Amino acid sequence: MTKINLKMEIIPVIFLTFIVCISVIFLYATNSVTEEYIENAKNEAVKATLNKQFTDMDDYSYDENLELYTIFLDNEVVGYAFVAVASGYGGPIELIVALENNFLKDDEIIIHSISVVSHSETPGLGERIVESSFEDQFIGIDINDVALNKDGGKIDAISGATISSSAVVDTVFKTVTEKVDSIREGFNLNSEEDF
Amino acid sequence: MKGLIENLRNGIIKSNPVLILLLGLCPTLAVSTSIDNAFGMTAAVLFVLISSNIIVSLIRNYTPQRVRIPVFIVIIATLVTIVDLSMQAFLPSLSKSLGIFIPLIVVNCIILGRAEAFASKNKTPNAIMDAFGMGIGFGLAITIISFIRQTLGTGNLVVFGIEIFKVPGLSENPMPIFILPMGAFLVISLLLATLRYSGVIKSG
Repeated sequence: MTKINLKMEIIPVIFLTFIVCISVIFLYATNSVTEEYIENAKNEAVKATLNKQFTDMDDYSYDENLELYTIFLDNEVVGYAFVAVASGYGGPIELIVALENNFLKDDEIIIHSISVVSHSETPGLGERIVESSFEDQFIGIDINDVALNKDGGKIDAISGATISSSAVVDTVFKTVTEKVDSIREGFNLNSEEDF
Repeated sequence: MKGLIENLRNGIIKSNPVLILLLGLCPTLAVSTSIDNAFGMTAAVLFVLISSNIIVSLIRNYTPQRVRIPVFIVIIATLVTIVDLSMQAFLPSLSKSLGIFIPLIVVNCIILGRAEAFASKNKTPNAIMDAFGMGIGFGLAITIISFIRQTLGTGNLVVFGIEIFKVPGLSENPMPIFILPMGAFLVISLLLATLRYSGVIKSG
């Protein structure tokens, strides 16, 4: 009796544990091989987007505290960029918003450009936020003009995709305002420390 | 040899997983918005299905009956995670467009279904042929559905960045409803109804 029980109860447990152990080994191996490539692929995607926005950049740095990319050309700062996430119609829309470099000195905030990195909007409708006819409307405009036409701004909504359009517009406006405040604060602190 | 070919043909037509067994409908409905997605999904499913059928049939004589389902699920989940990580590493854009549906292959009934119903009871060569047949059958179904949805929904057929054809009139005024989730249900139900009505597939 005890013998049968032992066989019935223990062997399945040992077998399952054995399978799990083998799985763990395989997963560990896969992870250690792919980790570096996944990291690279992500960096490449960011770099490609930044390159598209700042065609003449030659380097960029990333500030982890401010979550801010600083774009350089010949060691001069030509602009700043950061990642913003809007909640669209079909899920999160990841954007890279780039700013002209003048906002630290002036009160004026000028958008350099925006670029959609990833989204899950409806193909044929909300998907058109990735088209240059939509994205290009943001190039070089003042932050106060970032609103849909019907709300007195300068951005034309995509027809049939008001939710996607206004999600992008609202998020750009909100995150830029917040970001600029925190950057100005950050830089003020830094410059005070310098004195 | 004849048995092997029969195993292969079985999955493609006679018991096509999507059109006859109605398994794996979740990914079929969700990622069939473009032919690119259909091919990517088919490749991922085919890899997981073949590997899981091989492993399950190899260990079939040692697997205790009482833990067979957890064992199958651990094997399938491991394979899917390997596919997911490799895709993120080497095909980031495809991985982005398939999104959550790669991890969800774990719960794709086709794979667990074949492991339980076929691979755990048959020799490895038969299990491999069965996996091929089922994988191709799945690919066939999802490609047909994607073809219809992409053509009607966008008006032009673009496969891997190459334009195959443009429907005059439709490309200027496409019917985006076919790209929306509702279109997936419309297309698959009409397809099933047509196939059954015409007697190409027999129910039951």
